[in-house]
Amino acid sequence: MSNATQSRSQLWLETLLQALAQRPGGNAAGQQASARDWRLPTRRSEAWRFTDLHCLTRLDPTRLHTRTASPRWPEAFRQASSGQESPARLCLQLDSSGHWLGPQGEPPPWPRGLMPLPSGNITPGQVARTLMPSGPLPLGAALNGVTPGPSLGLQVSGPDPVHLDLGIRVEQSQAWLAPHVLLVLEPGARLCLSWHVAATARAAVAPMVEARLGPGAQLEEAAMTWGCPEAAFLGGSFVHQSPRSVYRRTSVTWGWGLSRDEPFIRQRQGQAETHLHSLAVARGQSLLDTHSTVYFDGPAGQLQQRHQALADDRGHSVFNGRVVVPRAAQETDASQLSRNLLLSTKARIDTKPQLEIVADNVQCTHGATVSCLQDDELFYLQSRGIGRDQASRLLQRGFCEEILQRLPQAALSWPPLRSLLETPTPDQP
Amino acid sequence: MLLSIENLHACVEENEILRGVSLQIRAGEIHALMGRNGSGKSTLSKVIAGHPAYTVTAGGIHYRGQDLLALSPEDRARSGVFLGFQYPVEIPGVSNLEFLRVSCNARRQRRGQEELDTFAFEDHVRETMAIVQMDPAFLERSVNEGFSGGEKKRNEILQMALLEPLVAILDETDSGLDIDALRIVANGVRRLALPTTATLLITHYQRLLDAITPDFVHVMAEGRILRTGDKDLAMALEQRGYDWIDETNGSDTRQP
Ligand SMILES: Nc1ncnc2c1ncn2[C@@H]1O[C@H](COP(=O)(O)OP(=O)(O)O)[C@@H](O)[C@H]1O
Ligand SMILES: [Mg+2]
Repeated sequence: MSNATQSRSQLWLETLLQALAQRPGGNAAGQQASARDWRLPTRRSEAWRFTDLHCLTRLDPTRLHTRTASPRWPEAFRQASSGQESPARLCLQLDSSGHWLGPQGEPPPWPRGLMPLPSGNITPGQVARTLMPSGPLPLGAALNGVTPGPSLGLQVSGPDPVHLDLGIRVEQSQAWLAPHVLLVLEPGARLCLSWHVAATARAAVAPMVEARLGPGAQLEEAAMTWGCPEAAFLGGSFVHQSPRSVYRRTSVTWGWGLSRDEPFIRQRQGQAETHLHSLAVARGQSLLDTHSTVYFDGPAGQLQQRHQALADDRGHSVFNGRVVVPRAAQETDASQLSRNLLLSTKARIDTKPQLEIVADNVQCTHGATVSCLQDDELFYLQSRGIGRDQASRLLQRGFCEEILQRLPQAALSWPPLRSLLETPTPDQP
Repeated sequence: MLLSIENLHACVEENEILRGVSLQIRAGEIHALMGRNGSGKSTLSKVIAGHPAYTVTAGGIHYRGQDLLALSPEDRARSGVFLGFQYPVEIPGVSNLEFLRVSCNARRQRRGQEELDTFAFEDHVRETMAIVQMDPAFLERSVNEGFSGGEKKRNEILQMALLEPLVAILDETDSGLDIDALRIVANGVRRLALPTTATLLITHYQRLLDAITPDFVHVMAEGRILRTGDKDLAMALEQRGYDWIDETNGSDTRQP
């Protein structure tokens, strides 16, 4: 990257920080100070080798706003949410002032087991900093941190699963949304959290989730994020797991000019279960990048990770799966698989395991495959009268199905996801 | 003439596998194609269906007077050519039900029939499954994924029954089947053998031909049809083996 480009991106960052500092709740002095020793990552750094930020820096920092639109909730969600007493599921959407409200704009009827934390108890970065005591936070989290706005903090308790759906929809160009969510799961508590993010205009969405799972707690997170080619997504999540806790995350990402997702999970004393399943569908010029970290500080932790990516046209998928197993983490059982489908000569897949294993008595496996559509599978479908294009779409969807089937059933009716799943229409004769 | 194969030569990666196959199939006929492993039977069936791995270097195939080789594999299938695979392909993630519906509708569309919506198709496929005695639970699974050998073959017969082809080529559909499954396959074939259709059975065993009497039996060796006869040829083969054909090679009887 040339010096000119770098100083341009530095200027962009400074302008952005100034603009954000002037928002209500912004801290002008603090942010000017931070701009001086903060640089946007460049492709010279290893972690950003493949990932260019121009989709983000094309936003005009002086015109940014926080206007959101109403998510297209499936009918089933609305009904379940409108129960009088304790609703079976709670749908919340981000409004233009950064608050989370019900589908009709009403303040949420908190279901049993879910309690808002007093805002004084929420400091953005409080979990992230215990998981990453030193060094800079990932870019998404850092940008989230300098964006003023109300946090959503929830305490989850009781053995009955609580369903929470969070929706963000952006339709107006130059939106900059960086909601912060803190989840505290009491011992044994269960939360099923679904994210529905859609952006139809040039905008940036940079949510940050921090979660602390008490002993035996279970968090099942499903994240479905879709954006138009002008939109950028920067996700940062930090999950602290206590022994016997279970964290399952299934994420599906498609569209976007740029998506950079950086989940960071730390099993503080080992002995917990982490399941990460992700699907990235990169078509057009989309660049979808997942950099995950799972850190084991104690023994007998488990990780099952599977990342699947499909790249077509000039799409580019990047996956870096970091797994850290220090000496204290004996008997860790971790497996990581990266499966990729490359559909065009101009598309790209970069996938890399990053296993940092010091403990000797562990079972850690990893594997990566990149393939194209199989001729025999295509021919089998064609030999039954299915046109080549339609056969190819069926096979692509079949590839995605492995991850999609892990999404909660209700999530499959989310309208944008339906477009990814759509039954291919028969070719015209 | 339904299907006419004339002096067909085909190769894969420079190796010639079919070396002048000629075969005429009329409506209402059942043909059996036998021959040692590696003699080119599956290759012939895949060339007819349009597999991209094979290049036809000489000769041709006409189907109802039309140049079959000029059609894409999907168009061959839509116009009524069916291949039951020796090794049906597993397709993870693609639901068998949807696969069957999409293919059935592609063929219906070509025949000018109205397409079936999901509900109408489910009724239709369940009725058809009863004929091949297949458990409807297989509709929920991915195409052929984790099916046993016999289940895959039944799924092929189910597809044949749904697509109602004019020419059905069954490549060793009887291999690896127990007696019951064999009977079901034979029933399926018999039901679809109409005066307007024809069947080419590729098989190693007399036992399928006991259930379905072929009008012609062809023996293939090294990419050619060496000999053609009637059902007695199959019986003779069963008793004497393929060496006998090699020894008597040259005195082959031609099909009328
Ligand atoms: N796709 C292919 N690539 C390479 N060789 C092939 C291919 N298909 C068939 N062959 C070769 O052609 C010959 C005939 O095979 P096949 O048609 O499967 O015989 P059969 O069905 O009679 O047992 C064999 O020697 C086989 O190895
Ligand atoms: Mg064969």
